[in-house]
Amino acid sequence: MNAIEVHHISKSYGKVKALEDVSFSVGKGEVFGLIGPDGAGKTSMYRILCTLLLPNMGSATVDGYDVKRQTREIRRRVGYMPGRFSLYQDLTVEENLYFFATLFGTTVEEGYNSIKAVYSQIERFKNRRAGALSGGMKQKLALCCALIHSPSVLFLDEPTTGVDPVSRKEFWDMLAMLKERGITILASTPYLDEVRRCERVAFLHQGHLQGIDTPDAILERFSDVFNPPAIEHSKAVTVGEENVIEVQHLVKSFGSFRAVDDISFSVRRGEIFGFLGANGAGKTTAMHILTGLSQPTQGTGTVVGYDICTEHEQIKKNIGYMSQKFSLYEDLTVAENIRLFAGIYGMNDQTIARKTDELLSRLNFAEHKNDLVSSLPLGWKQKLAFSVSIFHEPGVVFLDEPTGGVDPATRRQFWELIYDAAARGITVFVTTHYMDEAEYCDRISIMVDGKIRALGTPDELKQNYHQPDINHVFTYLARQASRSSD
Amino acid sequence: MIKYLIQKEFLQIRRNAFLPRLIIIFPIIIMCVMPWVMNQEVRNIRVSVVDHDHTSLSARLVHSIEQSNYFRFRGMQPSYELARKEIEKSRTDIILVIAKGYGKVAEMKAKGNAIPSEEDRGKILIAANAVNGVKGGIGASYLSQIVVASANPDAAALQSAVSTFYLYNKHLNYKLFMIPALLAIVMMLMCSFLPALNIVSEKETGTIEQINVTPVSKWSFILAKLIPYWLMGLLVVTICLLLAWAIYGITCQGPIALVYLLTMVLALFFSSLGLLVSNYSETLQQAILVIWFFMVCLLLLSGLFTPTRSMPHWAYLTTYINPMHYFIDAIRTVFVRGGNFAAIAHQVYALCAFAILMSFWAVVSYKKNS
Repeated sequence: MNAIEVHHISKSYGKVKALEDVSFSVGKGEVFGLIGPDGAGKTSMYRILCTLLLPNMGSATVDGYDVKRQTREIRRRVGYMPGRFSLYQDLTVEENLYFFATLFGTTVEEGYNSIKAVYSQIERFKNRRAGALSGGMKQKLALCCALIHSPSVLFLDEPTTGVDPVSRKEFWDMLAMLKERGITILASTPYLDEVRRCERVAFLHQGHLQGIDTPDAILERFSDVFNPPAIEHSKAVTVGEENVIEVQHLVKSFGSFRAVDDISFSVRRGEIFGFLGANGAGKTTAMHILTGLSQPTQGTGTVVGYDICTEHEQIKKNIGYMSQKFSLYEDLTVAENIRLFAGIYGMNDQTIARKTDELLSRLNFAEHKNDLVSSLPLGWKQKLAFSVSIFHEPGVVFLDEPTGGVDPATRRQFWELIYDAAARGITVFVTTHYMDEAEYCDRISIMVDGKIRALGTPDELKQNYHQPDINHVFTYLARQASRSSD
Repeated sequence: MIKYLIQKEFLQIRRNAFLPRLIIIFPIIIMCVMPWVMNQEVRNIRVSVVDHDHTSLSARLVHSIEQSNYFRFRGMQPSYELARKEIEKSRTDIILVIAKGYGKVAEMKAKGNAIPSEEDRGKILIAANAVNGVKGGIGASYLSQIVVASANPDAAALQSAVSTFYLYNKHLNYKLFMIPALLAIVMMLMCSFLPALNIVSEKETGTIEQINVTPVSKWSFILAKLIPYWLMGLLVVTICLLLAWAIYGITCQGPIALVYLLTMVLALFFSSLGLLVSNYSETLQQAILVIWFFMVCLLLLSGLFTPTRSMPHWAYLTTYINPMHYFIDAIRTVFVRGGNFAAIAHQVYALCAFAILMSFWAVVSYKKNS
């Protein structure tokens, strides 16, 4: 008997068809990937299988039970990890675990064997509030909570979005261990290395099932989505001599904790600078200092020629910023968002109207000018947020994990925009967890435990550390982290 | 640049499914329902009578209770114990027990005979349910007035000779007293909760970070948040005043401009309080609970419902630092008594001082760079 059987499932919300006639089956103990771009219908599928949502048509069974009629039986047998962090931020690690154990009528002691392998890694922090954990640790805790009642099927909806490569690798190693215990896993992910770790994958696109096969076959067949040709970065744009960002011995401490620990570097005009690091390494803190959101504890620096300690409001006039959390107003239309931010930077109405039309026609997005931002797919939101952040032609733009949660083809389009901006002389300072994106940068730095451990062009780093690609360089360095948070 | 920010706030308010409805429905509910229910007049007190006397005099007393428009006669009960049961079942509020001999004593008094000894004197007992102290106390004292008047015609005559003249509110209309207070509550809710929740939700979605890295100045950001809610508050106050006039025929006795002046200053105070709380809160839940705490304290200690002079002294002292108290004092003076600016100058200055202090604190505590 198969662990999951899906027959001709359809689901629509009003006019929007989320799933149309989707059928597949997953064998017992299989690691099955459900992949596709944002808005493909993956979350709807998870919710149907977890009995949180009723399909309009079709039927499905999980572990032999019908999702429409035998909801109680199914809920007892599945573990679900929704995409967004689903634990109680104010409870400690241990309290979260006890809470979920009680919910399923079991105890942590009883379920300890099933979570031991995962939990032993975070047990040291059992008295820490879940909200204070780093991204990778949160995911491990969420996995523990989903495993506490020894489920036979595990649903993981993009469990590793926003998690650094090392933590992701550890997370999938744990899934491999679970498979050995006979647990069936249905997972979705935007990362190609994770897709390759599945036994079979199903590719969903706009609610339609495009194909089921081994990962390599699927990635080959839909290479236009998953493996777009690398971008040609015309090096014709010469990097200027002057430094746009310059910092010396920057330190930011919170109490006794040094989030940023004595970093120094400089970025030249027109450069694309990749700022890498594991979750909790101090990237966002450093970026907040550079963008004038917070004061350094020690150290000096300038951004576009202004001092970071004293002239932060001057800096703000001359930079663009796209934050990790999504930064456009969802309840305003595309044009209204552009108008708002352009107005803030002091443009007048005529200029705004002209430049808005220019921008939207360049993006081929003119017909969506008056759509609410909330109605757009994630990839488009990100492209718009980026375009808005450079609308006032800043000297440098800061991008904090701009491409989380979208497929390779969409990310590639995003990077074309970044190259465009760089070609116009805008310096780009970007953090990312995608190592293929790191290779697109002119120079990268890798932060570990608040310090910069490596700095140079991607090729230099690969040579220096004798590794085949940036992913390996990163893993090699991040594994040396000793900071107790990760 | 503030133009664009204000425009954005109005667009967001308009797109919100809930706020425009709130702005219309809130004043209507407050003005159409609340003046009727927030009424401390004591009426319709239910009385049960236990008559052991059975004389024409006791019958006259019962009759005059039946006639009073303060009481609802709930019938006779055979004994005090059974009447007590009625109170316990909440079927009656006050018991009047007429002891045996009540009629006879009055008759003897009228004839000028010697009054019989203490034990034989027919007594009247009034037992009132005093769970609600005001209702019990006032009911019992009304009832004893009726008893005295019915037993002693001279006393009745004396009572009608005393003339009471109620200044400023001739008919003791409680609505006249409450409507200015309701304006205060409306402003309080509109101007403190809405801007605070707006800012905290920007924190939660992360858009505030995006605004903080732009060159928007603190003042323009905060003003752009407040101006829409002030305008909404003024609109709501205007609706309230119009409704008070249309439904109850109550209009402002003093200059209407003073009413607007007072509500503007109060709005500034409360919106600054809301901002202050939002600057220190990370989540919506936290902001709501903290504002709620301040609102309840300010409201109950303001003299809106109870006279401040009857508070214990230490509680009375807190009214000196309660802007709501100054507001209610001043608006009642203007609205009910028709006072001019000179009559409320002291309150206006105090209110302004609080509002300026609070808004200054709110702007200082909002950090674009920490």
